[in-house]
Amino acid sequence: MILLDNSGSWTGFSGRMHPVLVHLPIGILVAAIILLLLSRRARWQSLQAAVPSLLLLAFLSAVTSCITGYLLSKDGGYEESLLNTHFYLGITVAVSSGIFWICWRILRRKHLLILIYSFVMLSLITITGHYGGSLTHGDNYLTAALPPALSKFVHQPTNKATPAFKDISDARVYEDLVQPVLNTRCVNCHSQQKLKGGLQLESLALIRKGGENGPVLKDSLPEESEIYKRLLLAEEDEHRMPPKGKPSLSPAETELLYWWIANGAPAGKKVKDIPKNTRIQAVLAAMQPAKAIDQLETVPQTTVAAAAESAIAALTAKGLKVLPVGANSNYLSVSAFTAPTFGDKDIHLLLPLKTQLIWLDLSDTQISDQSLETLGQLQQLTRLTLKGTPIKGDQLRQLNNCRQLMYLNLGETAVTDAALVSLKQNKKLQQLYVNKLKISATTVQQLTQEITGLKIDTGGYRLPVLASDTIVYHKQMN
Amino acid sequence: MSRYKKLIDEANREHLRYTTRRHFLMDCVTGLGALALGSFLSSCGSSSPSQTVAGDPMAPKAPHFPGKAKSVIYLHMAGAPSQLELFDYKPALAKLHNQLCPPSLLEGKKFAFIRGVPKMLGPQAVFKQHGASGAWISDHLPHFTSMADDVAFLKAVQTDQFNHGPAQLLMQTGSARLGRPSTGSWVTYGLGTENSNLPGFVVLTSGGKTPDAGKSVWGSGFLPSVYQGVQCRTKGEPVLFLSDPDGMDRDLRKASIDAINQINEEEYTAYGDPETLARISQYELAYKMQIAVPEVMNINNEPDYIHEMYGTQPGKESFANNCLLARKLVEKGVRFVQLYDWGWDSHGTDENLAIDYGFRNKCREIDRPITALLQDLKQRGLLDETLVVWGGEFGRTPMQENRDGKEMPFLGRDHHVEAFTMWMAGAGIKKGCSYGETDEIGYSAIKGKVAINDIHATILQQLGFDHEKLTYQFQGRPFRLTDTGGKVITPILS
Repeated sequence: MILLDNSGSWTGFSGRMHPVLVHLPIGILVAAIILLLLSRRARWQSLQAAVPSLLLLAFLSAVTSCITGYLLSKDGGYEESLLNTHFYLGITVAVSSGIFWICWRILRRKHLLILIYSFVMLSLITITGHYGGSLTHGDNYLTAALPPALSKFVHQPTNKATPAFKDISDARVYEDLVQPVLNTRCVNCHSQQKLKGGLQLESLALIRKGGENGPVLKDSLPEESEIYKRLLLAEEDEHRMPPKGKPSLSPAETELLYWWIANGAPAGKKVKDIPKNTRIQAVLAAMQPAKAIDQLETVPQTTVAAAAESAIAALTAKGLKVLPVGANSNYLSVSAFTAPTFGDKDIHLLLPLKTQLIWLDLSDTQISDQSLETLGQLQQLTRLTLKGTPIKGDQLRQLNNCRQLMYLNLGETAVTDAALVSLKQNKKLQQLYVNKLKISATTVQQLTQEITGLKIDTGGYRLPVLASDTIVYHKQMN
Repeated sequence: MSRYKKLIDEANREHLRYTTRRHFLMDCVTGLGALALGSFLSSCGSSSPSQTVAGDPMAPKAPHFPGKAKSVIYLHMAGAPSQLELFDYKPALAKLHNQLCPPSLLEGKKFAFIRGVPKMLGPQAVFKQHGASGAWISDHLPHFTSMADDVAFLKAVQTDQFNHGPAQLLMQTGSARLGRPSTGSWVTYGLGTENSNLPGFVVLTSGGKTPDAGKSVWGSGFLPSVYQGVQCRTKGEPVLFLSDPDGMDRDLRKASIDAINQINEEEYTAYGDPETLARISQYELAYKMQIAVPEVMNINNEPDYIHEMYGTQPGKESFANNCLLARKLVEKGVRFVQLYDWGWDSHGTDENLAIDYGFRNKCREIDRPITALLQDLKQRGLLDETLVVWGGEFGRTPMQENRDGKEMPFLGRDHHVEAFTMWMAGAGIKKGCSYGETDEIGYSAIKGKVAINDIHATILQQLGFDHEKLTYQFQGRPFRLTDTGGKVITPILS
């Protein structure tokens, strides 16, 4: 609850009674329905006499709840759409409990009708109550606490809203930065549905169109644009936007809007294309999306269906280890530490996994050049280790078909200089390991020129022999 | 007849012995129909990968999210090396050399051995900046200076234990008291191993002694004991009693292990004790290790240039041999290789433990092997997915030790908990960076403080774990390596 008004008033105070009073109609209605159901049995028929008075009480308390609820909503700070739903549902509960009371005499003999009506009433108060709870506790209050056994049946809103840009300088100023601010702060009222002041702020064209009092945006003149000017008015001012009771824009958001308008309120321009002062630089720096630390370059962002169990079992039977790269992913990693005899005749077993297999370690296995064509069909591969295999490299060009390949380890193989050059079509390759291979400097140069960002580790590191390697320190020395 | 009766009685007694009061109470609970509720409740609370380890407890498992590291090599310098002679360059301390320690540094502080007012001890090494990153590294590590641009230094690590045993336990298990699983155990519990012929967690020691805290620093604590570290000897047989005894061939060995495991499986079906599963997989592992371990632990067949690079001497117990073994093990898919090198406790009580003598010899012993290890991992394309961690259990004081208030025969420093240096390299660690700062004499951390469980959180993070979610239910609550703390050190992640 955002409490903006500290002055206090009778209406405000009564509004705060809403959370207490709402429980009265709920309890009374439930009690009425229980009595009603019990009274169907001859033993408890006398209970029926209590039902009409309970219904009247329920109606009256529901009306009181509606009134206090309305007063409370004036406090502001509630999510508009949720509030509206709750508001109208509340009124419906009040009205229908009123109808129930009035029609009681006619209905009491019609058992089926009573049952249906009771059921509808119960559902109504449950739903209304749920929305009320969502308003005060947040709309994931209930679902967040679901035990894992149940939560899979409920759609969980993902709060990992990934920004449309990886680097803030590549963000489009209007589309990625300004419009999202308008969407969260203004569009609730200035939309086609509500059209407050005849103004819509859902797109740049609509912003430029303005409202019933004329245009709100003057290019390059933020101080004269209503859309900016009104943000700065005193809180009590009736022209201030967002109005009293609604959450205001943060200083950073205000600054962003100013910067955008001052630069001509362009569409489609990127952050890096627009001049920046130090203030906006600080604002933008804060908006730089944090690099997700649980995200790897070598794991595709898109999701994929799980691989067939039988295909995994076939590889496991050969001694290979197949497992998801993470519990949250269907992409697979395959290693062959316990399958030293895995060879060309088995390589086809990998093909059924070609949409899921991204990391493949076949070091010290028996696969030769014959297998490279099959490996080339593993289109999703990002990491491939062929270290210590009998590969000579005649078919190395087949790996150019692995278009996602970023890491390739050919160390301790017999791959030749000439064969290695054929890798130059692998445009995504970042790391290439060729330890113990005889690779010429020109090949290294050629490859790094062809593929931007490629780092080739030719290995063969030696440590120099230093005098200090053999000095043993003893007191006698000094 | 009475003889048989005696036997049957004994068997019955034995069986009853297993049925304890707890079993009885547990059976009552299930009898009351609370089983459904119990399983429902347990499914609410814990989100650990799999609490009941069905089947092979060492089967490879996926981490919570794709991790950058597949293996960890942890180089623990037991005894705690002096950060002031290696990485934390403090010229201001040199100016205070031999002056009495100001009382402000001593008030309300407790030291392991310093009593009264000690003298300050200036850095006993020559420092230079190295690499493009300009990291300060002393001339005690001449080879390692070439790796300045590959590692991330943590300059302000803090601990709260100033004695070796508890501090080593804290560093390795996350608790200064006995009974918690070590980092390697947590990692193998979470990830299993991709090479079922080798242990998932191997421990190698050098320096003549095992760590002060004993073998509990690689123990599995309350985790099933299958996850404990397997200590391999670097001299003689790597694992004792692994080879077949005379007169027993491999087939017979296999047959007897199968028979034992069959009985154990029946035992498990009857009592459901996870330790029985651990026993089964240990028998199987031992059988497989008979071939795989001697092969991987044999460094004789390594080429000469590798021996030159590491400075290894086959057949001797040395840190260099262990570094080479660590590389070989990681190359074969071992998850966690833990090295302990003893002899870093430079109090100045004798020549071997003197900052100006023994300490420099220790530095020489690790300088070449560590550099070789990093470079070798790099050229084999392994550094990319292997996290290397280096550090002691605490740091050393900027003051010279004055044990019992007396002048010491050699230069030495006391245990220091408030700030010390560790470094990490490989697997998604930012290259050539330094995080954290100490004051101008290296006494206390002033910026970028790192707690021990932050180190653990970071190790788990790189392996693909949310350290808050890698839990094990024990004594009624979920436990985790980082206990109630731990923050991933994001500034050193790339």
